[in-house]
Amino acid sequence: MLALSGMAMMLALVLAPATVAAAETHEAAPAAHAEPAAAAHGAAADAHHAHGNGVPDAHSLLTQFGYSYLTAYMFCLSLCAASLYLVFLHHLFDAGWSVPTRRISEHIASLMFPWMLILVIPILLLATRMYPWLTIDPATDHALDVKKGMFNKPMFFTLVPLLITTWGFIARSFRKNSLAQDKDGAAVWTRKNRVLAAWGIFYFSLTLTLVVFYLMKSLQHQFFSTMYGVYYFAGSMWLTFITTYVLAQYFSRPGQVLAQVVGKRQIHDLGVLFFAFTVFYAYIHFSQYFLIWNAAMPEETFWYVLREKGSWFWVGHLILFGHFFLPFVALLNQSIKSNLVVMIPVAAWAWLMHYVDMTFNIMPVLYPEGLHLSFWDLVCWPGLVAVLGYLFLKDFRSHPAYPLKDPRLKEAITHHEIPAPGQAAAHH
Amino acid sequence: MAKIANASGGAEATGSRGHHAPPVLKVADAPRELERAPLVLNNRSLGWITDAVAGVCENPMPKWWWPAFILSAGTMGMMFSLLAYLVSTGTGVWGLNTSANWAWDITNFVFWIGIGHAGTLISAVLFLLRQKWRTSINRAAEAMTIFAVACAGIFPVFHTGRVWFALYPGYLIPMPNSNWIWPQFRSPLLWDVFAVSTYGTVSLLFWYVGLIPDLATLRDRAKTKLRKLGYGVFSLGWSNSNRHWSNYEKAYLILAGLSTPLVLSVHSIVSFDFAVSQVPGWHATIFPPYFVAGAIFSGFGMVLTLLIPMRSLFNLHDLITVRHVELMCKVLLATGSIVGYAYGMEFFIAWYGGSPYELWAFLRNRVADPFIFGPLFKVPTAPYWWAYWMMISCNVISPHLFWSRKLRTNVVFVWIVSIFVNIGMWFERFVIIVTSLHRDYLPSSWGYFTPSWVDVFTFVGSFGLFMTLFLLFIRFLPVIAISEVKGVTPQADPHHPLGGAKEHH
Repeated sequence: MLALSGMAMMLALVLAPATVAAAETHEAAPAAHAEPAAAAHGAAADAHHAHGNGVPDAHSLLTQFGYSYLTAYMFCLSLCAASLYLVFLHHLFDAGWSVPTRRISEHIASLMFPWMLILVIPILLLATRMYPWLTIDPATDHALDVKKGMFNKPMFFTLVPLLITTWGFIARSFRKNSLAQDKDGAAVWTRKNRVLAAWGIFYFSLTLTLVVFYLMKSLQHQFFSTMYGVYYFAGSMWLTFITTYVLAQYFSRPGQVLAQVVGKRQIHDLGVLFFAFTVFYAYIHFSQYFLIWNAAMPEETFWYVLREKGSWFWVGHLILFGHFFLPFVALLNQSIKSNLVVMIPVAAWAWLMHYVDMTFNIMPVLYPEGLHLSFWDLVCWPGLVAVLGYLFLKDFRSHPAYPLKDPRLKEAITHHEIPAPGQAAAHH
Repeated sequence: MAKIANASGGAEATGSRGHHAPPVLKVADAPRELERAPLVLNNRSLGWITDAVAGVCENPMPKWWWPAFILSAGTMGMMFSLLAYLVSTGTGVWGLNTSANWAWDITNFVFWIGIGHAGTLISAVLFLLRQKWRTSINRAAEAMTIFAVACAGIFPVFHTGRVWFALYPGYLIPMPNSNWIWPQFRSPLLWDVFAVSTYGTVSLLFWYVGLIPDLATLRDRAKTKLRKLGYGVFSLGWSNSNRHWSNYEKAYLILAGLSTPLVLSVHSIVSFDFAVSQVPGWHATIFPPYFVAGAIFSGFGMVLTLLIPMRSLFNLHDLITVRHVELMCKVLLATGSIVGYAYGMEFFIAWYGGSPYELWAFLRNRVADPFIFGPLFKVPTAPYWWAYWMMISCNVISPHLFWSRKLRTNVVFVWIVSIFVNIGMWFERFVIIVTSLHRDYLPSSWGYFTPSWVDVFTFVGSFGLFMTLFLLFIRFLPVIAISEVKGVTPQADPHHPLGGAKEHH
């Protein structure tokens, strides 16, 4: 009950300012935003090269709340989206080792609906305060004009919630089929999930790219990078592997619900994949930065130039060293990956680093002079994580902790592929 | 970890919910339709595996081998003759023109480097990921890697025609010329030299280290002194001792760890050849992972092209099984989809970014076909629309046929699609290079690249080099990693439910 009350309070805390903002925004937006938008883009005839933060009413508490909330939301979306990817990949690869931890991923992914949908509402309500392009006349801005078919209010306000809803249905279908298999162990549920994964991964990859463009990249709508969707994916997977690792470690302690099925192999493999994505994220981010730096085209470099000003320069370095070098060096040793004394601080650090990464993407638009921590940061990030954490635990505890009758469970526990009974007979 | 009760026949699995987990966990067997096929069919014994693989290079080669070898060596000879013609005459013998000053030469380079990716990926990355199915295919794939890198190396060396400049004063070797001018270290062309040579060296080492136990097997089975001497020298005194195996496993793991970043780095740096520039159609931040995915895609395509005939010609069906073929098809499907995402993202960002040059390069140089996209966007037909759509058909559409289990278990069909993958990946590099270059910012210099006969036959000749080396590999070395395949059989593992050191004949 205490947890439920806490969750309700957190939810109220994050939703209340947005609700207040809604009325305020809808009335004030058109007039109040026209001027700052024009100012941000200057009087230059070619607005394409006139980059600035351009955030209407940047000093308003509501705008600041919106940005902090968006940062926290994108952090949480990372967890849900990458968990859904883990479920997709599990079924597409016909994986065995990950069966015991799959329920964790299924539950986190299922938070997408209705919770991530509900939690996106404040962003939609505050959108006109946060996204300069929503208040700019496309006729005055080349970068916006070329993509006005995609960057317009009806598309933004329809697609973002709609796509999150559809992801939620996909995630819940996976979990529903998985839970159904717990009862009868029938192969049909595995087959259904494979079919779902087959088309779902394409749909999800494309639409996640779109939503990340809308929610994060469009804060500076002039910026373009073909890598951006992959970049968000890489960071999200990194965060989710270490989160799943910690949860698997916690729930596999003696007497806990996964103690019988999660072994050293699962723990080690999750650690290895976290390590692999430490490198993969660095590879992706380096590639994006390096190619933009080397080509030195102003329509691309402005995005990084902004992030090299003031204390953002040091935040960039923190990502370089903290997101890559530190975990890379810490996890090089094989045995470290199952050493909780090292892994728990690494996990906490990874959470911080992913939040810093989201901040690095979002906040320079609002605070171009440098990193600025506000009260809202301290409320939104822990608040959203607490809400979703509570909901996850509630789901996790009210269902079997692992897929009880998954056809690959035996293989996951014994580490051996079990051949067909006919073959077994031939052996003995 | 729980003890597993024998629950065959669908016994109830007891969920371990709550804090009082039962001491013995009952887990049901997989339904029959979801059981995995074994990696070695027909319960073949360890001895049978040795005989089957070693027999390929110990017995006289089949009748087709000599004609195939002569044809390949002749084609290789044609390539070297044409390279001599190029060097003695100049790059005018190729179809290059003012704007398309890179064409088939660099296309061929990237094509072969891409093919060289699958071997080390299978050996190193799949080894680190404990994918046991790699063992039947890694040896041939690694050999293919090294031969493909050898083919690739020819084109950068010869692409200026004046081959001596590649070495001294070198545009490929970091050495100053007589005016004490060093090569441009900020040029990715120079990075290529380091990346490819490092990759080639480590791949060769990796291949050789993996070969040592099998070379010792061939040494011990050798019936002539010459063979005994040859295999004896290269097996470095291997005696199957515990210490040898221990050192071997460590070396293999370290080499796998070293090779894995190289798999990513080589094609990433090849992609930098294009992406660091500002040329529309080349400058895309997604190029590094897109190139790596494409390289793995093309590498697996070539592995299938080679191994499907090989398993039939040498009767290796029990070792290179339909399951192996099916799994490789899934890799093609995954990497083909990643490549498809990259194609789509490039085109999308060309529109999204609002750069008219970028959109021009994609729409008017590549995509606008005379039937659908040209009329749809109301633009003239792109000169190389046929190449672009050939690429899309082969790389994006054809792998999706593998969603059908029936099709991906039909090895003849898979072989045909693997040929399409090879063709498509060559066209991908052609599209990137030629369609981006042939119409630059100055319309007066626009031209249409058409290859000369020297272009065509030099490329055909590179297949001669590749096949010659591959046929020699079949002739003298074990085409499957004998010791590794044995390691994934149930009888090699005393802990396996069917295991123990039992012999089955």
